[in-house]
Amino acid sequence: MKYGFLSAHGYDPGPSQRPYLAGAISGLLATIPAIAVLMAFGSLAVESEILGLSRAVTLAVGCVVMSAAGAAYARFFGRAANAVRGGWLFGMSFGFALWAAGGVLVLPLLSGGRAAAGEAALGLAMSLIAWGLATGILVPFVHRPLHENIEKASKRTSVGPDAAAAKQQTIREQRQGKRP
Amino acid sequence: MRMIRSVALPKAILAGLAGAAAMEALSLIVRLAGVPAVDFVTELNSVTFQHSPLLANAVGLAAHLGVGVCWSVFYAFFFWGRFRLPPAMQGLVFAILPATLALLIVYPELALTRVPADAASLSLREFFAPLTWASVGSILIAHALFGVTVGAIYRRPVGYRAGRKPSPPARGRADRSRTARRETPAGFIFATGIECSYPTIENGRWRRDEMESVRHYERWQEDFELARQIGITHIRYGPPLHLVYEGPGRYDWDRIDPQMEELREFGPEPIVDLCHFGVPDWLGNFQNPNIVPALSEYAAAFAGRYPWVRFYTPVNEMYVSARMSALDGLWNEQLRDEGAYVRAAWNLANASMAMSEAILKRREDAVFINSESSEFYQPCCPDPEIQEIADEANERRFLPLDLIYAHPVSDRLRELLRAQGISGDDIEKIAHRDVPRRSILGVDYYEWNERLIDRDGQAQALGELFGWYVIADQYWQRYRRPMMHTETNKADSDGAARWLWRQWHNVQLLAKSGAPLVGFTWYSLTDQIDWSIAMSEAMGFVDPVGLFDLNREPRIVGLAYKHLIDLYRDQPGYAECPALKAIMQ
Repeated sequence: MKYGFLSAHGYDPGPSQRPYLAGAISGLLATIPAIAVLMAFGSLAVESEILGLSRAVTLAVGCVVMSAAGAAYARFFGRAANAVRGGWLFGMSFGFALWAAGGVLVLPLLSGGRAAAGEAALGLAMSLIAWGLATGILVPFVHRPLHENIEKASKRTSVGPDAAAAKQQTIREQRQGKRP
Repeated sequence: MRMIRSVALPKAILAGLAGAAAMEALSLIVRLAGVPAVDFVTELNSVTFQHSPLLANAVGLAAHLGVGVCWSVFYAFFFWGRFRLPPAMQGLVFAILPATLALLIVYPELALTRVPADAASLSLREFFAPLTWASVGSILIAHALFGVTVGAIYRRPVGYRAGRKPSPPARGRADRSRTARRETPAGFIFATGIECSYPTIENGRWRRDEMESVRHYERWQEDFELARQIGITHIRYGPPLHLVYEGPGRYDWDRIDPQMEELREFGPEPIVDLCHFGVPDWLGNFQNPNIVPALSEYAAAFAGRYPWVRFYTPVNEMYVSARMSALDGLWNEQLRDEGAYVRAAWNLANASMAMSEAILKRREDAVFINSESSEFYQPCCPDPEIQEIADEANERRFLPLDLIYAHPVSDRLRELLRAQGISGDDIEKIAHRDVPRRSILGVDYYEWNERLIDRDGQAQALGELFGWYVIADQYWQRYRRPMMHTETNKADSDGAARWLWRQWHNVQLLAKSGAPLVGFTWYSLTDQIDWSIAMSEAMGFVDPVGLFDLNREPRIVGLAYKHLIDLYRDQPGYAECPALKAIMQ
């Protein structure tokens, strides 16, 4: 229903775009400033300790999770994520939501109620907002070269003359009562 | 319900700064009065630069203002206009969101950052311990003030005060690559348009300017290039009359010279809209009979400035212009009166005729594409009163075209014209004029153009009941002019490709039935702003109807239109369109 709503209002990325890939790459690249913030506040060591993982494993897991989060961001915001004027804010909002959901709720649950405090807590919040900001800024620029070009995309049969039919269904299928 | 809007960033930033400042001022006043309250700057500065109170306060203040700006821009993108409430009340409702997050997450987390340890084990009760009645009350009241301030300041994100001139369009980049112009002297017209409406609303105080709203003034070169990439041969293009025509004999050509030069050199070939739903402030509105000589002067000057332009739409959708301005009370004069409607229609039709004549004096082979909205009213039942309402609506829609195409005007409308002080001789003179030979009737069609007059006498949208073929055929039978489908689109971007192909089949069917068809148009190149509410309010809603979205990335219908053009443009009958060739001879 959510995607239906978004596509009906023009946010569906369409066949020539690759939001998952663009979001994943952007999310991965955005871990660079996020890790810098974590290091600066000493939050990385605290998170590793809370999770019971080594720093390297914490970083590796973090990169994978944030790359997936980037893909989710680009898909959820759809075409809006491609807006240079608004991307920074959408990304930051998403980063804030990740912090509120992950840093404040999920992480303490995973660690039996332990949560970062002091400067480490601040670093965790700032790193996710920095990640969101960077992801939001990066997606439009990363996505652009990944687009299928108009020439090639327009050759798809889904946008050709058959699109005139209501449900892409043959008359025989309609008579047989098949659902499109 | 729409997800995001076109945002006026400077206005949103100002609103956010003002909202945060108001919160801080309130907090200061309350604390000076000795009442305990949360001070957000202190909350934010307490977590860093503890060795320097000045620096800490500066950072705290900057952070607080920054958070205010972020929330305000968020409001502008996602929330503004969602409820039909006064702007300040919209802001107040919105404030529930930041207030809730502040209470449940940010404020307790800020307290956690002051714990002198790297990690802590907290129960929920301990996590929320900082929330006292005083802190909760002050957070809620401060956020309410923030919301009211943001809501009161952030309004009318699109358009500008009438009389103000927006910045001139960006100059062209010299080092760009362009697709070569495709010469199609008599080829079938595969068109799109840059939405260029510029009516006033709020009784002439606020100017809508769609070219500004869709950021064409900034991105015009990119827009033309995208049109070329799709294979568009012609582009409906309406230079902003209200900005170019500064007064009698005064024109700001610098504003449009670069765009016109680009179109001349690289295409697509422009079909120039000279008057699109509005007039300059100094001309008032469509009730003013002086628009006839004034627009004629403008048309002559335009044709003199750009003698290479072949295609003109002197006045776009005269019926819609007159109806929305004088009968529906939405634009320009904002009247609701049948007499005002016929006056506006008379003035616009006369302006169109005078403009055509002025252009023909400078370019005798000019082609006029008279675009009009193809409306049709169906009575719901045999009730004579309902039938009469439908009949009147149906004759009303034809009035401007009847005038410019020298078709007899109905007795009822003739009486209404005479009641407006228009003499029978003047009406007769028009009825017997020579219509320019190179006149093409443009028939626009959208899914609400077919309407049912219900039992209450109100017009309800019927959707695509009969279709463009049937409705356009009414116009073909009435005027017997070469035809073009000059506007269509679909608000549901998912169904737009289907709509495009179905419209195309309508065009082909009318051509097969014998009507000389010269072109087809998907309108417009990009998404439009507030199009679904007829620009009647400055809301900034984005309507996803374009071949490209506002980021200039192709929509499915953009790809479908390219597919269609590639499939047909070299086919016999399209590479050289007999109907257009006959007109051009």
